[in-house]
Amino acid sequence: MTLVANRPLDDRRHADPGHPERPDRLAAAWAGVADLHLGEDLVSLDVAPATRAQLTRVHDAAYLEELGVFCYEGGGNLDQDTYATYDSFALAQLAAGAGLGVVEELARRGEGVGFVAVRPPGHHALRDRAMGFCLLNNVAIVAADLVARGARVLVVDWDVHHGNGTQEMFWNEPDVLYVSTHQSPLFPGSGHPREVGGPGARGRTLNVPVPPGATGDVLRAALDEVAAPVVDDFAPDWVLVSAGFDAHRADPIADLALSAGDFADLATTVAGFAPSPGRLAVFLEGGYDLDAVRASVAAALGALVDAAPATEGPTSGGPGSAHVAHALAERRAAIESPGSEEVRW
Amino acid sequence: MIDVIAVGYDHSADAAVAARFALRLAGATGARVVFLHAAGLRERFEHAEHEAGPPAALVGLIAESGLPAARVDWRVEDGDACTVLQRAALDPVNADVVVVGTRGQGAHAGLLLGSTSLEMAEHSSVPLIIVPAPRDDG
Repeated sequence: MTLVANRPLDDRRHADPGHPERPDRLAAAWAGVADLHLGEDLVSLDVAPATRAQLTRVHDAAYLEELGVFCYEGGGNLDQDTYATYDSFALAQLAAGAGLGVVEELARRGEGVGFVAVRPPGHHALRDRAMGFCLLNNVAIVAADLVARGARVLVVDWDVHHGNGTQEMFWNEPDVLYVSTHQSPLFPGSGHPREVGGPGARGRTLNVPVPPGATGDVLRAALDEVAAPVVDDFAPDWVLVSAGFDAHRADPIADLALSAGDFADLATTVAGFAPSPGRLAVFLEGGYDLDAVRASVAAALGALVDAAPATEGPTSGGPGSAHVAHALAERRAAIESPGSEEVRW
Repeated sequence: MIDVIAVGYDHSADAAVAARFALRLAGATGARVVFLHAAGLRERFEHAEHEAGPPAALVGLIAESGLPAARVDWRVEDGDACTVLQRAALDPVNADVVVVGTRGQGAHAGLLLGSTSLEMAEHSSVPLIIVPAPRDDG
């Protein structure tokens, strides 16, 4: 099967010495793609920056202006985690544009799987604020663009951190279903199962937090037992994946215990949510151990395009089964008792 | 009645100003003070080792205030500052009031929209005190 990806971006000048969100991450992801030896089955797209109209579907114009000026003046630290350089805003616009371009190409072809290999990552970026290494919310920008064209969009976020930015942006949007598995407790602290969406989109947010040490079987159960029935009811036209690989057991900033093989399984499950070929795009989010990123990207994409098998087998036996059942019960209670749900942002 | 004062502390100069104010307020009201430090993504990567107790600078402020140690807590929570401070109103902190500085680490003059204090002003479920930093007219 064809893998449709953006051409590699020149991201070397979005860097901060010693910072974990670094250019080597993207090189590792591309090495994972190369490991698949796709030949002519890899389609590389030139990338145009996202337009202001596309960005303002999810970001405040004032924030974009301030971020642009901040970068133009040389950049610096935006918060304790997040930096920007002179080149960061332009790179972030290209990253967002890469997602738009990949999805447009998938739509044109009507087949294949998309891979948006970009940085900075996006899923923590809020409407009016950079956060958690993220400047612009790449997956949300694409989801909003699809919704504007009348599509229903499922966003599956298997990054180890909750995608608070994406959740916030679509809190009241009935045409987006946001599904997140994430470690808890962990940054950013949101993602409780009782966070189920706003009054206009109750049930369109689905969170399954899992404890430190959770293995792949726990996340598979979260998708199979909690998410799958909701996805079936929602009937998405498109599936976008916020694919962080920091739930891997080797990752230095989190404590889950997944392997590359688990990402292959998760990818296979998520592919089953897509309504037809050519309606699935995978966006790189976190992942800070370079070998784990390489192996996990190869495993996940390999499973989607029927290429090389994962180099690590799936994992099981860690804690978290009870958390999945608890998440389902909490979610049901929140949906059945309006006013009892938790609201973030 | 103020029983518990929660204070956001991120090691910045503005956080120290907020800490001094909160300690004085606790002295005047008899309240307990809970210092909350939000541990971000990068902090985990760098393995900061402050979870066992407050940093030296804060220990100095606490000693200076004369408040008994039993009335001061230090907690490190995973999360962004605003989420951690919003949760202060809930169990186990149960804060009656939250105190923050005007700006924290990494903040700068331009991106006012990104400040924790303004986020908290919009979302806090308990009274919020934003302590201004001393004016620098020099």
